[in-house]
Amino acid sequence: MAFLSVEHISKSFPGVRALDDVSVEFEKASVHALMGENGAGKSTLGKIIAGVYTPDQGIIKIEGQEIKPTDPRIAQGLGIALVHQELAFCPNMTVAENLLLGGFPTKAGFMDWGRLREKARALLHEIGAEIDVDTPLAQLTTGQEQMVQIAGAVGVNARIIIFDEPTSSLSTNESEHLFELMARLKARGVAMLYVSHRMDEIFRVCDTITVLRDGKHVATEPIAQTNRDRLIRQMVGREVLMKRPKHLDLEPGEEILRVENLSSTGKFENVSFNVCRGEIVGMGGLVGAGRTEVATAIFGLDPRATGAVFIKGQKLPLGNVNEAMRRRIALLPEDRKRAGLVLGMNILDNVSLAHIDHFSHLGFIDTSRELTEVEKLTKRLRVKAPSLDTITAGLSGGNQQKVALAKWMVRDCDLLIVDEPTRGVDVGAKAEIYELLDEVACQGLAILMISSELPELLNLARRVVVLREGFVTGQLPHEKFSQEAVLELMA
Amino acid sequence: MSSPGKFSFSFSKFPEGGLILVIIALGLLLALFGGSVQLPKFETTPDGKRARVFETNASGQKVPAFETVNKFFNARTIVQIAKDTSFFAIMAVGMTFVIITGGIDLSVGAIYALASVSGALVLSPYGPSGGAVATALGILVTIGVGTLLGCLNGAMITGFNVHPFIITLGTMAIYRGIAFVQTNGQSIGGFPEGFRQFVRSEILPGLSLVPLIVMIIVTVVGGIFLSQLSIGRKIYAVGGNEIASRYSGIRVGRVKLLAYAISGLAAGIASVLSLGYYGAGSSGDGQGYELNVIAAAVVGGASLVGGKGTALGAFLGAVILQMISNGLVILNIPQNYSQIVIGAVVIAAVLLDQFNALLAKRRLLAKASSIKKEVVRSSDTPVSLKPKTT
Repeated sequence: MAFLSVEHISKSFPGVRALDDVSVEFEKASVHALMGENGAGKSTLGKIIAGVYTPDQGIIKIEGQEIKPTDPRIAQGLGIALVHQELAFCPNMTVAENLLLGGFPTKAGFMDWGRLREKARALLHEIGAEIDVDTPLAQLTTGQEQMVQIAGAVGVNARIIIFDEPTSSLSTNESEHLFELMARLKARGVAMLYVSHRMDEIFRVCDTITVLRDGKHVATEPIAQTNRDRLIRQMVGREVLMKRPKHLDLEPGEEILRVENLSSTGKFENVSFNVCRGEIVGMGGLVGAGRTEVATAIFGLDPRATGAVFIKGQKLPLGNVNEAMRRRIALLPEDRKRAGLVLGMNILDNVSLAHIDHFSHLGFIDTSRELTEVEKLTKRLRVKAPSLDTITAGLSGGNQQKVALAKWMVRDCDLLIVDEPTRGVDVGAKAEIYELLDEVACQGLAILMISSELPELLNLARRVVVLREGFVTGQLPHEKFSQEAVLELMA
Repeated sequence: MSSPGKFSFSFSKFPEGGLILVIIALGLLLALFGGSVQLPKFETTPDGKRARVFETNASGQKVPAFETVNKFFNARTIVQIAKDTSFFAIMAVGMTFVIITGGIDLSVGAIYALASVSGALVLSPYGPSGGAVATALGILVTIGVGTLLGCLNGAMITGFNVHPFIITLGTMAIYRGIAFVQTNGQSIGGFPEGFRQFVRSEILPGLSLVPLIVMIIVTVVGGIFLSQLSIGRKIYAVGGNEIASRYSGIRVGRVKLLAYAISGLAAGIASVLSLGYYGAGSSGDGQGYELNVIAAAVVGGASLVGGKGTALGAFLGAVILQMISNGLVILNIPQNYSQIVIGAVVIAAVLLDQFNALLAKRRLLAKASSIKKEVVRSSDTPVSLKPKTT
């Protein structure tokens, strides 16, 4: 009998049937991966087990006994912990206060600081994390913050831990710590569910893999019996090949972007490189190496940047977004929910947002022209949505990214900067985004692509510029590409 | 917000429909339960003046004639309510611009007072014999001061990067203080007669409709501004997500400045009407108006989080609040209760709005399975992106 089992679980949300009659069994002392494209229902399944959502149908059993985790607190009482992407903390409070936020120890109604620290230390010790409990949370790195979150979630008696994309905001080093921790927890007999997009991690840390597609259960297999291609086939329902991009076979044109000694105090220093017409230049580096900061500085969003940026040989005044846009630069930001989209607006409004004046005559929006042009773009990018009226908050990650990208294709640009273009995007949409980037490069766009996914960087780019701690540590041409070479420059 | 394609009158597309229903319901309620009242009868004499109508009673005496009318549903009461509404409604339309950007303007009442006092100080020296030039100058100064004060709010909010609540809380006191210092707390009157006659001019016999007409013009212009102009779209975007707007090349500071300037402009327009209607301005004008104005905008569907709200909604919200306030009088409920009722209505309106959003979500859920099937079936070709409305 399985330790934990979910039977015939179904769950619907507005606009989507997230889970449809899913049954899976999970074993003790094992890491069980939940995989699938965005919107496949893997996070939903994790959240149902952790009591965040209540299923519409179906039951959950622990050791054959039905449980009803209608509330995260009840789930915690049953030994079920959820470690999720959104870190929910009070940044101004200390580690200890945050860890015991749910129930401060008190003495006659007054805070018992001694016992608070003691308890917090015990929790951190449990997962082998060494963090000073008196540090304000805001001063921790993302990785440390996550360790605190895990410590709080695991508590002292967790039997089931659900990790929902735990490494999405961690550096390589921090991820390693997490994997070590998972190994320790496994040795203690904890059952773990691991939701992630990252194939390499899955094959490293997991024992069993369950694939979901469109809310339905596709397969549950031991890791030894599956492989990458098979998984992708199961996830997408069709083959996705990393084809050799066509732009590599064309000669790059004239220089579009030249960056000379670009600096911004505390962010990056003396960064120089160039990008030519028809070329995709990759930018690699660890989280915090300053890649996003360089991109936003080129786009005019960093008023303190110094140095020189030339567009087609002409100097670009720094710190002025509108000037950057006038010189035909476009930026697809890293965090589409924060900076890429107005989530409360519909697809139409979002796509036309950056060039709304282009659709206007004497200040009045020409709605029919706007509609025609936006529709053309969303069709070209294969945005899947019931209509252009659909509010973007309800779209899947892949479709949101396509909308954010469509925004910059309303008008032709010369330089397109894409920052983590496929983060949190499902495999199918990823392939479509790669194809699109290749296509526009072939048409003569200069593209600067920032990415933390090495395979994508190495496959798509003609050259890769690597940053480390704000400095350019090297540049590799396509012929010299290898994961090892890039990693060496990165770390 | 802007809806692509043709306009459709389903409730999800036309959220103000609910407000109109509420107004109709309130009107019916007042007409049915308000009872009737006796009003003196007037007629227009051949030389254009209005005079009482007399009739001969049973004993042969000539007595003034009265007519029995519905207490609520008669032209004079309705125009009276419209006039009372107009000041708030005009400012609520302006306030909606600010609220859509995610801000708030607590100083509208003070702007209204300072603009009013400034206009009064310009108009008063001309005296009752002042001509059209004096009138035009007075109107220009009143509206100009209002706009300028709004601009100042906006400039400080964007320039100092301080929360609008704090800045406008400060200017609320400062502006009113300046008005007080300028006038020593005295009421200032004695305006050109032409100005008063213009604002109070009776377009229909016995009914001065100028405030009503100005209110409608402000609402229509505000509505067109927000829904049809590209700058309107930017206002929604800034309130919806300021960072994403900045990343889209929108000059966020300018957009916000404009929103506060419009709020000030609206307050200026309202004070022109009040100067003309009441014939005096004082530093105590518009005390506490900011709360009524914000309440009207909120009842009209504007969300303090930003990104949501319409000019028509603000107008209808003001109408609802004023109908309730006047309605209490009509229903013979002591005026003292009006604040309690209005407060409750504001909260109820927001709850209703949330309930509505929940219903919309449910409806979407019901559609979910069919949409999902479509997407699955055509996993290689995207579903048609034709908007629902076409």
